[in-house]
Amino acid sequence: MIEVEHLTKRFRRATAVDDLSFSVPRGRITGFLGPNGAGKTTTLRVLLGLALPTSGRASVAGRRYRELDAPLKTVGAVLEASNYHPARSGRNHLRMLATAAGIAPTRVQEVLAQVELSAAAKRRVGTYSLGMRQRLSVAAALLGEPELLVLDEPANGLDPEGIRWLRNFLRSFAGSGGTVFVSSHVLAEVSQLADEVVIIHRGKLVAHQTVAELTLQAAGATRVRSPRAEELLGRLRQAGIEADATDTGVLAVHAPPERIGDLAAEAGIPLHELVADTGSLEEAFLELTAEPRS
Amino acid sequence: MSAFRAELLKATTTRLLLWFGFGLLAFLLLVLSIHIGSHDPESLREPSTQRTTLGFAGLAAIVAVLIASLLVTAEYAHGTINQSFLAVPARGRLLAAKLAAAVFVVFVFAVLTDAVTLVIAELWYHGRGRSLHLDSYTLAPFLGAVGASMLAGGIGVGLGALIRRQTGTIVTILLWLLIGEAVLSAAGDAARFGPGHALGAVVAAHRTSNAGDMLAVWPAVIVGLLYVVVFCGLGFLAVAGSDVPSSGD
Repeated sequence: MIEVEHLTKRFRRATAVDDLSFSVPRGRITGFLGPNGAGKTTTLRVLLGLALPTSGRASVAGRRYRELDAPLKTVGAVLEASNYHPARSGRNHLRMLATAAGIAPTRVQEVLAQVELSAAAKRRVGTYSLGMRQRLSVAAALLGEPELLVLDEPANGLDPEGIRWLRNFLRSFAGSGGTVFVSSHVLAEVSQLADEVVIIHRGKLVAHQTVAELTLQAAGATRVRSPRAEELLGRLRQAGIEADATDTGVLAVHAPPERIGDLAAEAGIPLHELVADTGSLEEAFLELTAEPRS
Repeated sequence: MSAFRAELLKATTTRLLLWFGFGLLAFLLLVLSIHIGSHDPESLREPSTQRTTLGFAGLAAIVAVLIASLLVTAEYAHGTINQSFLAVPARGRLLAAKLAAAVFVVFVFAVLTDAVTLVIAELWYHGRGRSLHLDSYTLAPFLGAVGASMLAGGIGVGLGALIRRQTGTIVTILLWLLIGEAVLSAAGDAARFGPGHALGAVVAAHRTSNAGDMLAVWPAVIVGLLYVVVFCGLGFLAVAGSDVPSSGD
């Protein structure tokens, strides 16, 4: 659905995005992670045609954003919640976008209801709370009933209720077959929401994996206790699995519990304990984006 | 057409036009009162005086350049340009829609200014025991004001796209009108080709060049159009060749 190919974006001497390549599959929720200044927003802005790439290409459904026949009907984007004229009502803001994109005016009421803003539709956006402005952004993104949602830090400034609303909304969008590409600093949110994550650091890709793979990578060893630990250790090493004896009858094995269990069962070795030390997305993220110590 | 209608919605869903309308109304009341009040009743009868009086409708052109530039720069100031370009990603198409909408808006604004000028002048003349003699000679500045406003609107869109910063654009326009044109006057005949002088000549709507300091109406229109083409061309190039800022200035 999204293809980023050898994308580079320089601002004078600073390189914000450096030869970045990845793709986002259709029908999944993909998190886009990276520390502040990693180049996430720049990448999204190039993808949406708002910034010009220095080299490389970013496309949606095989075409650059500005080449799409009906961009708002293909991609719904949620950028900063501050991109509003404070004197314009929420309804007029959406009317204006719908008119520009050739979308039926009836969609305005529909999306306002969808984001639970109907009651405040005629109020000026300047009087909206941050959460309401974020919902208005989501409403704008939904106007064209797009198949892809691109969201840049949508949880920024939202209270817990707003974050829960957003999470439920994105799940329901993805559940109905939509594709979501969401950048976020709130790693706990992404780990609950995303199927896979793209992690960038200093403009370069450092990981593109499923959340399960990534958390496994960050996990510590699996603790295994067996009365025939030495025999199991030999079997594991034969199978090319890294493992160490930590205590009498206890092994620390660098493999998922499923694989260890299967191997032990094949060899008829009883297990008395098999506990995975689950890592978190946050641990994986910090590991991947850690600055080298000088 | 959809982009044009969206731009009209943008122009009419904030209070921008309302505030400029009130401001111009107040200013017209002031200058027409001073102008008509300072003439003796006999000279008020003169067609040339009446033509000059109605020529104050040309103030609409000054407001037009400000309104048109704000239709572009306000989008950058509030960051709404991001969503505008998401809806209409072809930058040239969006700016062309802005140009068309700005020219239409200032056209309507200028026609209303003509009407308001006529009403205020008529009331003042009536109050001083005189009446306006309306014919093609005295009413010519009304057409000139509409034409000059539309040209000023085009220049405003171009300037707005070129500078993009709201405060910077307004300051540039005001400095040019207050100082730049005066400095240009020192250049002699060439001053006639300055944007302010050219638009002034469109408002004055003289068929022939008079006294060497003002172009005749049609050459002035051509000079005005050249300014529109140059400023819009440069503005469009500037917008097309740069990143859209992520938030307002």
